[in-house]
Amino acid sequence: MSTSTGITGGSYQTTPSILRSLADQGFDRSTLKHIGTESYLVSERGLQAAAKAGTKTELVEELRERYLGETFASRRLFERFLKTLDNRPRSTRALKTTSPYFRKSLINERFNGEDEFRRALKELGLDLSREQTDQLVRASYTGWIWTLENFRKMFLLPETRQILLNTGFYVASTLLLFNVGFALVLAITTFYLPKGQAAIFRALWFLPRITPSVLYVLLWKWLTWDTGFINAVVANFGVTPRNWMLDTAANAWVTVILINGFIGASMGMIIFSSAMTAIPKQMLYASEVDGANRWQQIRHIILPQIKWPILFVTVYQTLSLLTSFEQIFLSTDGGPGSSTEVWALSAYHNALDNYWGNLQYGYGASLALVLVVVGVIMSLLYLRLFRFKELVKLPRIEQ
Amino acid sequence: MSHNLKNWPIVVGLILATIPIMLMYLYLFVDTFTDTLPGEMIPNRFTLVHWRFLWENIEGKASVWLAMLNTLIFAGSVTLIVLSVSSTSSYALSRLNLPFRRQFLVGVLLLHAFPSITLIIAIFLILQMVGLYNTLIGVILVKASLQLPLGIWIMKGFYDSVPWEIEMAGIQDGASRFTVWYRLVLPQVRPGFFALGLFSFLEGWSEYILPTVLAPANDVQVLSVFLAQLIQDDQHFDFNLFKSVGLFYATPVIIFYLFFQDKLMNIYGGGTKG
Amino acid sequence: MEIVLENFTKRFGELTVIENMNLKINEGEMMALLGPSGCGKSTTLFAICGIQKLNGGSVYFDGQDVTLMPTQQRNIGVVFQSFALYPHMTVFQNIAFPLTVRKEDKLTIKKNVGEMAELVHIEELLERRPEQLSGGQQQRVALARALIRKPGALLMDEPLANLDAKLRLEMRSEIRRVQLETGISAVLVTHDQVEAMSMSDRIAIMKDGKILQVASPDEMYQRPENDFIAGFLGNPPIAFLDGIISAGNVKISSGNIEFPCPENIEKLPDGSHISVGIRPEFYQPGNPYKISGTVSFVEIQGRENLYDIRLKDGSLLRSIQSANVSPLSSGTEVDWGVNPEQLFFFDNSGKRL
Ligand SMILES: Nc1ncnc2c1ncn2[C@@H]1O[C@H](COP(=O)(O)OP(=O)(O)O)[C@@H](O)[C@H]1O
Ligand SMILES: [Mg+2]
Repeated sequence: MSTSTGITGGSYQTTPSILRSLADQGFDRSTLKHIGTESYLVSERGLQAAAKAGTKTELVEELRERYLGETFASRRLFERFLKTLDNRPRSTRALKTTSPYFRKSLINERFNGEDEFRRALKELGLDLSREQTDQLVRASYTGWIWTLENFRKMFLLPETRQILLNTGFYVASTLLLFNVGFALVLAITTFYLPKGQAAIFRALWFLPRITPSVLYVLLWKWLTWDTGFINAVVANFGVTPRNWMLDTAANAWVTVILINGFIGASMGMIIFSSAMTAIPKQMLYASEVDGANRWQQIRHIILPQIKWPILFVTVYQTLSLLTSFEQIFLSTDGGPGSSTEVWALSAYHNALDNYWGNLQYGYGASLALVLVVVGVIMSLLYLRLFRFKELVKLPRIEQ
Repeated sequence: MSHNLKNWPIVVGLILATIPIMLMYLYLFVDTFTDTLPGEMIPNRFTLVHWRFLWENIEGKASVWLAMLNTLIFAGSVTLIVLSVSSTSSYALSRLNLPFRRQFLVGVLLLHAFPSITLIIAIFLILQMVGLYNTLIGVILVKASLQLPLGIWIMKGFYDSVPWEIEMAGIQDGASRFTVWYRLVLPQVRPGFFALGLFSFLEGWSEYILPTVLAPANDVQVLSVFLAQLIQDDQHFDFNLFKSVGLFYATPVIIFYLFFQDKLMNIYGGGTKG
Repeated sequence: MEIVLENFTKRFGELTVIENMNLKINEGEMMALLGPSGCGKSTTLFAICGIQKLNGGSVYFDGQDVTLMPTQQRNIGVVFQSFALYPHMTVFQNIAFPLTVRKEDKLTIKKNVGEMAELVHIEELLERRPEQLSGGQQQRVALARALIRKPGALLMDEPLANLDAKLRLEMRSEIRRVQLETGISAVLVTHDQVEAMSMSDRIAIMKDGKILQVASPDEMYQRPENDFIAGFLGNPPIAFLDGIISAGNVKISSGNIEFPCPENIEKLPDGSHISVGIRPEFYQPGNPYKISGTVSFVEIQGRENLYDIRLKDGSLLRSIQSANVSPLSSGTEVDWGVNPEQLFFFDNSGKRL
């Protein structure tokens, strides 16, 4: 997670993910492959750098005199070669510190200025056209520039579509099944129960909301993982243990929706419950006298009376589901593959999580900006649910 | 009501639906004091070994007590900031003739609905620039400011319900506006003040994303990050250890929940309603 | 203290509630601000005590312009409709609050609170909290708190509206007693004419932000300046019948009567339409000009009986009669009369002639 690179400054760095996106943009793939693979070359430049950094003079001299110009396809090969020399480095550590000076590759290396970067590109000995060089330079720049490139990329990348679909599916199903659907079930069923029993169920369903998310998700892991509780139970029926959270995309979705839904249900439950206690009792008695059965009472009396709270919860929860990624991050982290990767999580991954390529703040931020725009629009909608006039009434003491 | 209708099918249905929750929390307690053979459901012996992290450091981790201290500082400071800022500013927004009062209120209401977590990338970059990355102060300030719209909103709701006449009487009795706020109005909103404090503390205590992004280093780690990293780094999934650390971590939450359940439900449910 | 409002104007946004009002409250008198709800009584009160700003005009206390003086410095006591006691303080702390914020020493406070408690008869309640008091007791505490600073004037906004009927009667005389004992100038805001008439030295009657008449209660009852005032004062209220001037006579067609114009309307030209106000106490069996009708409603009040009489054309008269004779029942035909000397005549604009 940690990085402090490339935030303030205009340095240049080519990363695997930059190469990937260049490939998507139609950059010559074999050239990219060349840039992407490292090789080792005994060069004058490398020798000088190594000498300056304190490598033994004997070793440097030996390399210069006998091996200048030789290349090696990988670090392993190069290091193995170093070990065969007369003046070989003594310790593994010395070996490891020596080898990087001869690396002939750009990948992941940081250059402080454009000239330096261009020189390094040239030294690769690839036959780059002027445009290709410029494109590489531009793509590798890590500092601020004004650009719509990120949004173009968002449109072009095939993942975007997938993530959009995932997000829609996640929000819609969690909302319908739990945050509104099951919340209503909880509110209505506990409404008909004696006070004490109702309080117990409400308190239990409130636990997921109040439990710190790290611990809460841990409990789900304990339930679903290979060594977890579900496996211990179903093993008795001859089912082979598996990771129910991550083994298939379908199971991952079920888990993600359950994890979030169990938290989401409680807010609706509380709001609906308190709205329902505000329904005049006479109205309910009257409907019973009129011969309504329980279902009809719910359908014709209770639901119409709480339609504003339902709308409120729907809007509010849509917004929080769209933008929160904490539980998914802690449980499936978007997996397996990226089958449960949603928009907010993807913004986070791109900008702040190393694993997905080297920290594309710009791209992540533009993904987040899309959420911000959606958020502002939805909060405006939400504003309409308040009696705003009343809230901004002028103070009555005019001093 | 409806004595003629049977309740037992409802109860059975609810119990079935609640089984996962009951299991998870039951075993949360049980597993911290017992061992269970692999593949078994029933523990086979009592042990305190899972709690040894309290007196010896877990390999590669800082002391859990340091994390506890950091969490206390984090949640405590957040609470302090949220309480002091929202109890004053929402009084001003509710009762004083401020310039731009309306605009402020619209802003607060929008921010209150708006999920501020979408701003985390920008916040991360800003903290890097101002040099508050990996400091408790930085993450405290961020958490507090993200918490403030809700706090101001809730406190304004409470202030709005204080009768104007009490305040008018105070002024009439010769008290300054500050005295009126401090001696007459604040005591009327004490329940809201406590509820908000409790809520902010628990929010701070449970917060994970902000500290993990903004202050992940060992020496400023809070318990949520501590636990998450423990789970991430561990190779043999010692759930009993995780749960013990988790239970240790969640103790204040559980205690507050037991004592102030109604208040909390109110603010988690109704609080967001304004 | 003498209070003067000069060209007082108040707007809330677009809405002008009060325009160019002039009012003078004399030293030591109790002035009632009477009017229907929403007419601007509280607004006037808030302008005097400074809680709300004026949009035009000035306020003078004893000749000194206090328009811009902050409320805290005006030294005015106010009793609010809801009493506005501080719920988290004891009665003692409530009454002491004005002195506490002035940082008076403990002994003075104790002495003053004692005196006030004695004045309003709540000596034994000092340690209670407001929620442990009855409405009347809360009222007394509010009064004590308003008076403890020895204010120049006492303002009361509907002080009796939150009390039940019996307490209202008791507090009516209590408030008056305290006001007379302390000799303080006071303003009583009320929409209840009985309260206004029974408690105050003078009444300022208001409608739609304007003061219609300022007079002592009996003068206002005897000589209302217009039909609104005549209708507002008196319970059961006055009834109005249409009349027309014809050859020196007043002709009331709905009552089928005609009588010579009294002096005050002699000069009206023939054919003028007027409105005739008949108070219930002046529609009685013994009077000369008979108006016949049917009893449509009887209200037995014990000492008196009230009758609603429906005339042939549908208009309504009221009569109040002492209960020595057994009450008539609904549907009875009656033939009671009026005396021209006791009637009010109003022109088209409602002004009394
Ligand atoms: N703070 C305010 N904002 C807007 N209009 C007000 C305010 N206070 C009073 N009004 C309006 O001014 C008019 C007079 O109010 P008020 O003085 O309270 O009447 P009342 O005679 O019943 O005490 C009413 O129409 C009322 O709606
Ligand atoms: Mg009023």
